[in-house]
This record gives sequence, C-alpha cells and structure tokens, in this order.
Amino acid sequence: MTTHTNPSTSLDPDNTTFKFPSHYSFPPFFTLQPVHTTRTSQLHSWSRLIQSYCQHHHLWTLSLTDALPSPLFTNTHLSRSLSLRDAREIISWMTTSEAGRRAEWTSPTSSTSSTSSTSTTSGDREDQKTRCYIFWRRPEEWASVIEEWVDRTGQKGSVLTLYEIVESESTRKEEFWGMERGLLERCLRVLVKGGRAQVFGREGSEGVKFF
Amino acid sequence: MLLHPLDLTTALRPSLLPDETLLFVQDAVGLYEGKFKLPKYQNGQAYLTSHRVCYVDHQEPRSCSVAVQLKDVERPDFYAGFLKSSPKITLYPKPSKRLSHATPIAGSSQLSSAPPSGPSTPAASLPSTATWVCPICSFSNPIPSNFDPAIANARTPLPPCLACGIKPPMVHVVKAAIAAMTNRQTAGGPSSVPVESPGGSISCPRCTFRNHPSLAVCEMCGASLASVADKRLELAKDITRTESPGPFLNSSPVGKDIVDCIKLSFRGGGEKIFYERLKNALVQRKWLLQSAPPIPKPRPASGSGQPDDCSTQTPERQKVVGVAGLEKRGLEQRRNNEAVIGTAFEDLDALMTSAKEVIALAEQFASQANIGTSGNPEANAAASALSLVTTKDMLGSKSESLYLSELSRNLAEWLTDDTRGILKTEGGIMTLVDLWAVFNRARGGVELVSPTDFEKAARKWDELKLPVRLRQFKSGLLVVQGRDRTDDKTIATLLAWLKDLHSEPPATEVSWDWRLYGRGVTAQETAERFGWSVGVATEELEMAEENGALCREQGLDGLRFWENWIVKEVGEC
Repeated sequence: MTTHTNPSTSLDPDNTTFKFPSHYSFPPFFTLQPVHTTRTSQLHSWSRLIQSYCQHHHLWTLSLTDALPSPLFTNTHLSRSLSLRDAREIISWMTTSEAGRRAEWTSPTSSTSSTSSTSTTSGDREDQKTRCYIFWRRPEEWASVIEEWVDRTGQKGSVLTLYEIVESESTRKEEFWGMERGLLERCLRVLVKGGRAQVFGREGSEGVKFF
Repeated sequence: MLLHPLDLTTALRPSLLPDETLLFVQDAVGLYEGKFKLPKYQNGQAYLTSHRVCYVDHQEPRSCSVAVQLKDVERPDFYAGFLKSSPKITLYPKPSKRLSHATPIAGSSQLSSAPPSGPSTPAASLPSTATWVCPICSFSNPIPSNFDPAIANARTPLPPCLACGIKPPMVHVVKAAIAAMTNRQTAGGPSSVPVESPGGSISCPRCTFRNHPSLAVCEMCGASLASVADKRLELAKDITRTESPGPFLNSSPVGKDIVDCIKLSFRGGGEKIFYERLKNALVQRKWLLQSAPPIPKPRPASGSGQPDDCSTQTPERQKVVGVAGLEKRGLEQRRNNEAVIGTAFEDLDALMTSAKEVIALAEQFASQANIGTSGNPEANAAASALSLVTTKDMLGSKSESLYLSELSRNLAEWLTDDTRGILKTEGGIMTLVDLWAVFNRARGGVELVSPTDFEKAARKWDELKLPVRLRQFKSGLLVVQGRDRTDDKTIATLLAWLKDLHSEPPATEVSWDWRLYGRGVTAQETAERFGWSVGVATEELEMAEENGALCREQGLDGLRFWENWIVKEVGEC
C-alpha cells in the first residue's frame, strides 16, 4: 500500500475526468464493513481512491464537510453516499501507520494559519476533525521531488523563496505547484534535517538554499 | 440362544417393537455369562422394556449390543453386592427351549439332584389365551402361564388386574383357569389340540402342518405345539409342580449355545429400581397381550360387562342395511368411542392399559380434523411421539446425566425420523427454542421437558456422536441442524443463489451493473428462499459475512447482503 502511487499524473485537472475505480459503483462500498478482513480491504480501497482523487484534482487538504457531497464520497448515479462518521473513520484509519500515514488531521490550533482559518466553525471536539492533509505523497517524498527539481534546474546553491517554489510560473508544470505553505514548510524541514537545505529569513518571507 | 442381537435406532437406542414400552434405563452396566465376564460387554447401558432387557455397549454400540427376551426369562435373582463386587441381577432362562431337545431318557447326563416332589412334570399348561375377567372392572386379564389351579393356595402370588390394579380373589382365577383348560380339552377337538399322527409327526392345531415331534412351535405358522408334550405328560396323571425346573432340564445337551444365566452387573447403581421394574414386567407379561382378547365393551345398560355381551350386538347390526344401517353403525361407533374414552380416563392405570386404543382414537380424531387441510406434521407427530418418551421416572433418581443423554438420544431420533421430517420442513435448520416448542407440543402436553434440560440434552449431541448438532451463532442464538450441514455448505448455497441473481434482471430498475454485481438480498428474502426463519437467515448471512463471502450494505430500506466484491477485486480492469 505504501508503495502505491497512482501513475495518472495529468496535471490538467479540468481536461480529463477522474476515472473512479470499479468499487465506486458497488453499492456496499458506501457502507463501512464490520468484518475485519473485509473492512481492511475496503479501507485500503477507499484510501487509494481518496489519494488518487486528490492527486487528480490537486487537493492538498480535504474538508470533510465540503467533500461529502462531492463526487468523491457521493455517487449520485447509485444514489449512495458515505456518511460523515464513516468518512471520518476512513481518514482516521489513513493516518495510522498501517495505512502508511497517508493523511493527517490538521488541528485548528496549529501554527499553519492558512489551513486553520477556515476549518473551525463550531467548538465541538469531534468536529475539529473535519480537515486533513491527504498525503498522496508523504512530506519525505515531496522533499525528494523538490530536491530533484532543484537538481534538474541547476539551482543548487542559489536562494529561492517559498513563493518561487510553489507559486511562480517556473514551477507551473511541477507536481508540487500550488502546495500549501504549511506542507511546504514541513517538506523543507525534512531537507534541513538531512542537511541538504537551509531555511532562513523572517516569518512570511523565508528563503531556502539547497546544497 | 438366550442373547439375541439387537437393532438400534439412529440415536443408538434399541428400536422398540410395536407395543413395546421403555421402562427403565441404567448406565455403567456389565454383562456376565454364568460366572464369567463377557469381554466387550462390560460398559454399556441397560434398557428395560416391557418385552426385553437390552444391553447397548458404550464403545461399540453397533456390534456389541444384545437383548434378552423377557419371555425367555424364568426368574430374576438379585444380589446386593459385597465389598468390591457390584450389585448384580441374574436372569435365569426358561427351560422351555431345552425341553424340546431333551429326551425323557436323557440318562446319565442328567443331574443327580432330584426335586423333593418326585418325578416332576410341568402341569398342563394353560392355553395362552386363557383369561380371567376382573370382577371390578371386567377387564380380561391373561392368566399367568405358570399358574396352576391344582397347587394354587392363598399364598400363591397373583398378578393384579392389568386395568384396575386390584388383586382378584383366588377362587375367581382358579375357576377361570380350570374353565379354560376344560374348554380346551373338551370343546377344542382336533382343531385346537395338536394331533399326533401315526407317523409320529404332529399336526399343528392352527394350520394343520405336520411338524416333527421334537418341535415346540409349528414350523409354518409359529403356533405353539407345547400342548402336545403336555398331553404326553398328562398321562402320568401327576400334576404336582415345583417352582424350580426338574433335573433333566438342567442338563445342557447343546453345549455353548445355551447359557446357565445372564448377569447384569450394576457398577453405577440403579439395580434396585431395575429389579423392581423387571419383576413387575415379568408379572405383567405385556408380550402376551398381543394374543389377549380386546377389552370387553361395557354396555350402557348393564355394568356386568360379560365378554359375551358384545357378541350379541354384532348379529343385530348386520341385519340392518342401507342408509339406516350406516347411520346405526355410526351411532354404535360413537357409543363405542364414548365407552373407550370413558373407561380410559377413569383412572390412570386404566389409561395406561388402554393407551393403545386411546392413541388410535386420538389419531383418528386428528385425521378427521385435518381433512381438507394439508397434513400438519406436528399434529401427526403428536400421538406417535407418546411411545418414544423418555421420562425421568424411567431412570435412576441420582443419574441426572443419564436422563439427559437419554433425552438427547430421544431428541435426535425424533429429529432424524424421516417420516416426520421436522428439520426438512424448516429448511434443515431451526432454532432450539422453536424445536423445544414443537417437541413439547408433539408430546401432547404430557411429560414436558424443561428448557434447561432441553438445552443440556441438546448440548450432549456432540458428545454422543449423534447425527444432529447444536450450533451457536455469535449472537448467542442456538440452532439445531444436521451434522452434515457445515458452514461451508451453507455459504456455497448462498453464493450459488447470489450468482443466479447476476443473470436475472432485478424487479425494479437499478443503477448499478447487476450483471457484474448481482444485487443485495435481505434476510427476509433469504428466509423465504431457503425456508428458514428470519432469525436463522440473519445469522447465516452474518456467518457468511464473517467468513468473508458476503458484505453488507446499510441502506435506507434496511440491511442487504452482497457478494463480497470489496475483497475480491472483481473489476480490476
């Protein structure tokens, strides 16, 4: 499961429609199974579906309340949809190591203000878990992707701003284009820890230098 | 042979003959022949029935089970046990079988111990149909075959009346016995007495077949030729009779085929009740009842109830013909039924005695009530189940486990009985609670089984290796099913059904690809399809789900079960 990466890397989400897996048209898929083996298999299928869906649509985070009516969790053709509780269950399972930690809840109190600002509307404890990262690539994987890009474009040793990496026209074609700031910081932190980059500058206008 | 092979039912109990009733069961019994233990017959259950004593081995029930006919038993003997020696009941065989083989001039092989009363010869035995009519209830009782009017005195034990249980006055029985004998000797003539023809062969009184003189029963029809021997012996004009057999009977001319006695060793107790009931069974001689005349029908006018009375009715009836005759016959039939029911329920003993007729009547009523309706198996089962009951009083008081194992066998027999097909009508599986209700209903309200005992008995099926098994679903529901029905088979049938749904379009328009996925089924549909109850269907579906063969869909219209395409990855295309 952890090695699974969906090869469909169409970077133009609007041109091609997402091809749902066959399970998506199987009505019981939308009921979380109580039997362990079946449930595990189902969770894996859901995890794959969510990841490839997010990858296809370049979604970095998923807000459950927003996503539930979306085609991801609702099959209008079958008129079947996943309940909020089951969806939360699936995401929670995706955060476990068994699923390769392909998701992570974003807490409203986290420093990544850009994601937390919209996530909390009510103070309910369980409702805090409505927003999550979907790691169709883990931060470590992203780090190597960025490093590879830096290497490919010969920018080693030069200083890049975070804006340059994820929002400039030069990276428009790259997979990590449009990555949320909080996630990017985590990727860079991985590189800094490995001694392959250095982050400096003030909050909001950091620069990064790759070695 | 004194020991006969024994037929066993599916539940490894002796299969009872018609009219035979079970009286007592005791486990941990061993068999002795004479003084010696019989190998392989040392641990088993002893069944006392009205006709036989049966031994069913614990280890090898099919091969090592024997029965002793009570009619071959002269008398039982009781040994209370001493130190390590277990209590025993000895069954002494009747000499009658050997009588035919032993010639009067047996010579030196005879035992020297002569009886005190000189040359002993059996008295003129009574014809097997000799009866005495009870002065209290007018029931015709058979006269015990060892009853001899010549030597009978006040101390001679007399069996009580079979119907009312009251001992008859001695004079009454003596009179009846003498009447029966004279009747046979005078009025019988050539038709009732076996005729010894000049060639030495004896022609049978019933079918006139000429038998070899050494035979005791007719080769053709099985009628007793014993009176021939009696006739010979009557010439001696000596009708003294001792209780013990004469010396020449003790000689054993045929060697190993004939055994001195059979002993039952009671290692687990219960010998006293067994002995009591054995003695009662020997006194009652139920096996004679088959040839006994039917219970006289008391007429409403006279309470005397002479057996002759009924004969006066018959010619009258035959005279009337046509619709009037039919009506009259119907009236008589009703009056007769009334009388049978009336007498039967007068007291308990009478009910026991006339049970056969009451049951027949009940069956008749049941069938009349069922005309037009498709036969209800439970109603049919009701009356016949009466003969199968194992009741607590049949068993030793302290052996609760024995009662349970007997009940368990009883149940298994009843369930596997093909004529009733209890399990078949329920789709091969039913809940224990349903079974309990059906079983108790079939017992007709008599000797009901408590739920606790019932469950305990059902739990013993595995232990006793019976052909049914009790299964517990994970919700705790207990069901009963045949041993050959495994989960795998159930799943296979479920899947086969679901597979069929791929080819038949669903009743309503569905949005998914039913050719690929089939459709989901509810427990209700499954129950209808396989004839299960809904509870059982739910449990079977959940079992299959647990197994991974099915998966569920919780929809607005309830829970549906599907083939498990989630795991199988069908459309990996």
